[in-house]
Amino acid sequence: MKTIQVFDPALCCSTGVCGVDVDQALVSFSADAAWAKLNGAKIERFNLAQQPMAFAENIVVKGFLERSGQEALPLVLVNGEVALAGRYPNRVELARWAGIQQTATEAESADSCCSGGKCC
Amino acid sequence: MKFLDQPPRFLFFTGKGGVGKTSIACATAIQLAEAGQRVLLVSTDPASNVGQVFGVSIGNQITSIPGVGRLSALEIDPQAAAQAYRDRIVGPVRGVLPEAVVKGIEEQLSGACTTEIAAFDEFTALLTDAALTTDYDHILFDTAPTGHTIRLLQLPGAWSGFLEEGKGDASCLGPLAGLEKQRDQYRQAVEALADPRRTRLILVARAQESTLREVARTHEELAKIGLSQQFLVINGVLPRGEAALDPLAAAICAREQAVLSALPDVLKALPYDQVALKPFNLVGLDALCQLLTETVSREVIGEDRQVTFDTPSLSALVDVIAVDKHGLVMLMGKGGVGKTTLAAAVAVELAHRGLPVHLTTTDPAAHLSETLNGSLNNLTVSRIDPHAETEIYRQHVLDTKGAKLDAEGRALLDEDLRSPCTEEIAVFQAFSRVIREAGQKFVVMDTAPTGHTLLLLDATGAYHREITRQITDKRLHVITPMMRLQDEKQTKILLVTLAETTPVLEAAGLQADLRRAGIEPWAWIINNSVAAAHPLSPLLRQRAHNELREIEAVAKHHAHRYAVVPLLREEPVGVPHLLELSGHAETLAGSSKG
Repeated sequence: MKTIQVFDPALCCSTGVCGVDVDQALVSFSADAAWAKLNGAKIERFNLAQQPMAFAENIVVKGFLERSGQEALPLVLVNGEVALAGRYPNRVELARWAGIQQTATEAESADSCCSGGKCC
Repeated sequence: MKFLDQPPRFLFFTGKGGVGKTSIACATAIQLAEAGQRVLLVSTDPASNVGQVFGVSIGNQITSIPGVGRLSALEIDPQAAAQAYRDRIVGPVRGVLPEAVVKGIEEQLSGACTTEIAAFDEFTALLTDAALTTDYDHILFDTAPTGHTIRLLQLPGAWSGFLEEGKGDASCLGPLAGLEKQRDQYRQAVEALADPRRTRLILVARAQESTLREVARTHEELAKIGLSQQFLVINGVLPRGEAALDPLAAAICAREQAVLSALPDVLKALPYDQVALKPFNLVGLDALCQLLTETVSREVIGEDRQVTFDTPSLSALVDVIAVDKHGLVMLMGKGGVGKTTLAAAVAVELAHRGLPVHLTTTDPAAHLSETLNGSLNNLTVSRIDPHAETEIYRQHVLDTKGAKLDAEGRALLDEDLRSPCTEEIAVFQAFSRVIREAGQKFVVMDTAPTGHTLLLLDATGAYHREITRQITDKRLHVITPMMRLQDEKQTKILLVTLAETTPVLEAAGLQADLRRAGIEPWAWIINNSVAAAHPLSPLLRQRAHNELREIEAVAKHHAHRYAVVPLLREEPVGVPHLLELSGHAETLAGSSKG
């Protein structure tokens, strides 16, 4: 089983509702992460505001912060290696990394990347 | 006093800043100790002056009080506790992670939630660790003001429930992440609080309608989380004997008695005591011993102690505001200091000068804003209901952003939308529709977001994202709201307070918070001043005299410019009374320290 580690920017809420406008990407990812966990994926999330040591102790993450700054977060590691940076993974990506079999309808609904993120 | 009858082990005194919690807690502690009980007095008031009251330096360690056998005290400084908490989390990464990152984290941990949690963390042990408190029969807590206290007490309950349900990710309760190891202790603390055999809650208030409405809310919220044993103490009631001496005193007496005879229904059922206003300062053992007794040896102050007074009026401040012909004016301050009334007074003053004004308020009673609507040329009035607005915001987010979420995801989102910041954001968002008008006219608001919230909104980029989207969509030249708030030409923040120690310190705290966000309050307004009302009654004259030190502190240390608004005989509703409030007729010369 691969371990997915998500390093969030400094957030006071995991869904990021504490903004003028709720960031859809955060809302969607919180739900997707919960879904993947239910399906057996191993996902860990680290919030920069609450667990900064997790950022400081991981040499990959620390180097990323020094190079690109906190604006470039989130950073996603799969088995310790950079898998994605600057946006949250969608359900399809999570499923692929975690080896979750998706039903056709699930994959279709989750595949629309416009559920959030900066790809639109 | 009913609240002193057969007290349980834990006594909590709650109420907003300036109602006299500290004095009543101190007097109670003395009384219990003299009756043979062993008492520990714990103060978490940010303006804690327990040490000053007893004439001994206390600080963050249990100290026995000289002169009172069996009484010890402990002061918890919530700010220091929060700083220690921040250091615990940020300390290990300082110098390791980039400095900008470290600063960002520190801001996240600089909100009111963190302060409350840190303070609660400090006294949790006193509720749960029997060995620590075995030497005491009663432990008295003189807690932080109402709003703080509610969340402070609610959070551990939500926190325990949250972890038991195991929903996973740290959520809005995230600031507790650093304290996770003690969650068992938190559960025990909440159990102790919710146990009527162990805990009594004493709601301290003044005989003011808005204060009592707030107390009724506190009562219901705390009763809901299990603190069912509650007592009500109304402090500082003006003795009826004063009424004969002074028209102002007579008006205050009449107003207070009317308020007391029409207590909110939920409060009527509570055991209830009145404490009379005292002519002396509540410092020292002798004074405190007399606080809860009916017979008072009155030291009458002579006629020569009449306070003479020359301070700038609100009208003089409005003269300066009016120069720009348009702009945003926001009144900021803790609950109950009279922001809505003063916002109305500023709006009426501006409209009276022939300038177009939109007054928008959160006026809970609505009668103030309703009576103004259509009463004056150039003045339009709108009102938002913070609770309704928050509910609309919650529902909107759930319906739109949460629409595609599964049950688990929706539960998580719903949880986050119950955060204390949500109301502040929802209200500010509702107001922001009106703020756009400030380019053409004056917009006067009776509320403002805290600097902490603004910084977070700015830091998360939510603000900029929103604005950038507007620019690309509509090709508008828009500056960010943060820049508009930082520009004194466009936005003037008036900080409202009362001429009493705790309210002034609370306002200074709000000012420091705004300064972190690069926003400088434009002026301070000291509301309901007895000194500015030129009282005749000896008791009120003494109170007026006590105000001078606070007014001087505002004038010399806190404010760039300020105004003092007198306590009026009648409630300032309607245009004539509002003009009277701002000292319009007198048009006193303004002063500015620039």
